[in-house]
Amino acid sequence: MNGWLAHHLASFADALRRMLRTPFSAGFTALAIGVAITLPVGMYLAVSNLGQLAGGLPTQPEISLFLAGKASPAEREAIQRKLEAHPDIEQRRFVSSEAALERLNAQGLSDITAGLERNPLPDAWVLTLKQSAPQALDTLRKELSALPGVESVHADSIWAERLQAILGIGRMLVLLLSGLFGLALIAIASNAIRAQILVRREEIEVSRLIGATDRYIRRPFLYYGALQGASGALAALGILALLGLALQGPVSQLATLYGSPFRLTPLSLPAGAAVLGAATLFSWLGAWIAVTRALRKFG
Amino acid sequence: MIQFSQVSKRYPGGHTALENITLGIEKGELVFLTGHSGAGKSTLLKLIAAIERPTSGAVTVNGQNVGRLSRHAVPFLRRNIGLIFQDHKLLFDRSVIENTLLPLSIAGFDRREAFKRARAALDKVGLLNREKSMPIALSGGEQQRLCIARAVVSRPALVLADEPTGNLDTGYAIDILNMFRDFHRVGTTLVISTHDERAIQAMGGRVVQLDHGTLAAEA
Repeated sequence: MNGWLAHHLASFADALRRMLRTPFSAGFTALAIGVAITLPVGMYLAVSNLGQLAGGLPTQPEISLFLAGKASPAEREAIQRKLEAHPDIEQRRFVSSEAALERLNAQGLSDITAGLERNPLPDAWVLTLKQSAPQALDTLRKELSALPGVESVHADSIWAERLQAILGIGRMLVLLLSGLFGLALIAIASNAIRAQILVRREEIEVSRLIGATDRYIRRPFLYYGALQGASGALAALGILALLGLALQGPVSQLATLYGSPFRLTPLSLPAGAAVLGAATLFSWLGAWIAVTRALRKFG
Repeated sequence: MIQFSQVSKRYPGGHTALENITLGIEKGELVFLTGHSGAGKSTLLKLIAAIERPTSGAVTVNGQNVGRLSRHAVPFLRRNIGLIFQDHKLLFDRSVIENTLLPLSIAGFDRREAFKRARAALDKVGLLNREKSMPIALSGGEQQRLCIARAVVSRPALVLADEPTGNLDTGYAIDILNMFRDFHRVGTTLVISTHDERAIQAMGGRVVQLDHGTLAAEA
């Protein structure tokens, strides 16, 4: 076997052996790394689940115009003409009170609607606007509210837009947190490797005296770092799975109360692989920094 | 093979270990460095292996100025030098054979070839039957022989030994000196620091005496 390849294999086996020989300290380091990873990844999961929930909602500004129950046919016609001619309105759709009730039934709220003596829902128009600026939305809302026969006008999409904006902040936070915890991970890994180096200081010095290059000395520590990061990532994935399991019940219960089929989506396989890869890389980097610094210091 | 030209070494703090040493050692020579403790014997050996660098002057080994070697070149110089230490510097968490394999692993030897060579080296120092033992189970003399096996396993042209018989009983010391004589016979250059008069008388060879960091006498 090629000597270089043999040393890679031996370094990997050596790192694994050392890790298994000190299961407690290796386990605690993995746990510390795991918690550091859990925070940004957990937040990513929360944001992406919320995003999925909000994904079914219209983000284009929409206005619902509810007709008064006592509006006369002439008033209704005037409103329709006004809406069809309005330059700011892109699309308009009439939703009769019957249609609205059917939709509620279809959403699983038939228990509630069955108890009603008469249909309490008004006839309505759902309007999509050409402009999405909040001022334009507000101007139109005021203009339409003033029409005779109009009960009320709701700008439906505002909260959806706000949710999107909040999710945007959430995504940014995930990025920033990932960066921060990436740094923390490098620091944790680097410190754990420093302890390893101190234990093996003699071995490093002897190896150097008989002609070991820095690269040769670094190799087992880098494997140790990579393994440490990978075990930390596995710990994080385990923690997230447990959290998901604990939250699954309450979330489904809440969703059922709202008549939604929403269920928590776990981390996808590629995302899990990315977490594993990033943790391995960062921990490797921490090891590299620790060993390189130590080699400089030993002279 | 080794040339010291007006070499001085001062340690931080002002202690002068070597002062203006000029000395040449030929290929295949057997040289004993003698002198009281603190005379500069160890420092002189360390300068050859680039463990220390001279404060002034030049140390050349095979035409290379080792005081000027870059960080990255030093390991390759050391692979051609067998180092034997008074305190052995063995790794106590590895078996005898693993200790012997270390220089070959570092040099990137094929594993099977490395084993063959390591066994040959252990055989030469009489430790082949102990290859699976841990160094802690060896006597002082055996530990020193293991250190020698590790130093010669990659068949270096130059062997430096710092007080190799310093802590040993006479019987062990003679064994080890006989090994050095064998290496000398096959053309290895040997520089041995010692204050063991028996050794010098038994082996012959050139004697370089140091006194407070200067060359006192040569015989």
